[in-house]
Amino acid sequence: MKPIVFVFLCLITINEVLAETIDASANNGTLGFVGEHAGMVFTGTFTRWQAELVLPPAVNPKISAEFELNSATTGDSVYDSTLPEGDWFDVENFPTATFESESIVLGTDDKFEVIGNLQLRGKSLPVEFILHRKDGKLTAEFDIDRLAYEIGAESDPDAEWVSQYINMRLTISTST
Amino acid sequence: MTRLRYNGFAIALHWLTAIGVLVLIGSGLYMVNGDISKADQFSLYQWHKAVGVIVLNVVLLRILVRLLCKPPGLPESLPQLHKHAAKLGHFLLYLLVIMIPISGWFMVSASPFGLPTFVFVDWIKWPHIPFVERNKTVESIANWTHMILAYAFICFICGHILAVIHHHRHHRLNLLKRMWWSRDK
Repeated sequence: MKPIVFVFLCLITINEVLAETIDASANNGTLGFVGEHAGMVFTGTFTRWQAELVLPPAVNPKISAEFELNSATTGDSVYDSTLPEGDWFDVENFPTATFESESIVLGTDDKFEVIGNLQLRGKSLPVEFILHRKDGKLTAEFDIDRLAYEIGAESDPDAEWVSQYINMRLTISTST
Repeated sequence: MTRLRYNGFAIALHWLTAIGVLVLIGSGLYMVNGDISKADQFSLYQWHKAVGVIVLNVVLLRILVRLLCKPPGLPESLPQLHKHAAKLGHFLLYLLVIMIPISGWFMVSASPFGLPTFVFVDWIKWPHIPFVERNKTVESIANWTHMILAYAFICFICGHILAVIHHHRHHRLNLLKRMWWSRDK
């Protein structure tokens, strides 16, 4: 084996060994959402979700996540009863939502530029967000267009009651 | 001995219904036509639904009491035509006070919003009518029915009150006594 090939293989191996897989769930993180209804801000979280993150400098960085839509809770019984309904999350037909990354690029200041697809209610749409790593935490937030996923499209197609954009918020503790 | 007034429980249910109906009419007109914020409008809708459920149950109980306990006959001095009109009027009032909350119930059940109806507390959840969920046709028909019957009901209530005043003035009959508590029969 030529020395250059050996060194190259060693570098790949070291890189893979150093590549850390972060397993996340409601035990070490929160996956939440914020929106507005009737001019009032509502916040909620998914209590059942899991994600696997392999971040750069790994050779094949990826983020995959799955969350159960009927685990959404807001602390308001009216919202909690409504969200699983057919025109909203439609949990009967689409019990889970998933996210799969397509590219993760390490930027400056421990920021990762993530591009991927969020599949919700049977629709897979591209999303982009910045994943920040700071103080033993990974955090990210991005908006989704609920009408693009046909969430509440029959009830409120003009976003007269519920805001069209829902802010998704992710926090994962990476410190052991 | 012939009873001259309704029994005390029926009287209580009558006035409870009357108060509930007035609250529903007032809140219904205000939440639809009033210049209020979306937040207040939403709260009022939830409140209106909860009161509607209570009124529907009170009216059903009222009908049961009426079937089980014979109501007092109409005063002998009342002209025959007026007696017929009173019976028809009372029947229509009962019909409307049942139909209006039921049409509202259909409206809520068929709405794609799928909002639940909690009766003021989280542990009393009034169910939706099955097989009509997310049915915009049913929702639309129920919506119109609810509105038209509500306006008709306002007219009937006015007629009901005016009839009591009319009989008091022209026939010297205090019909209100029939629907108020007293130690006398």
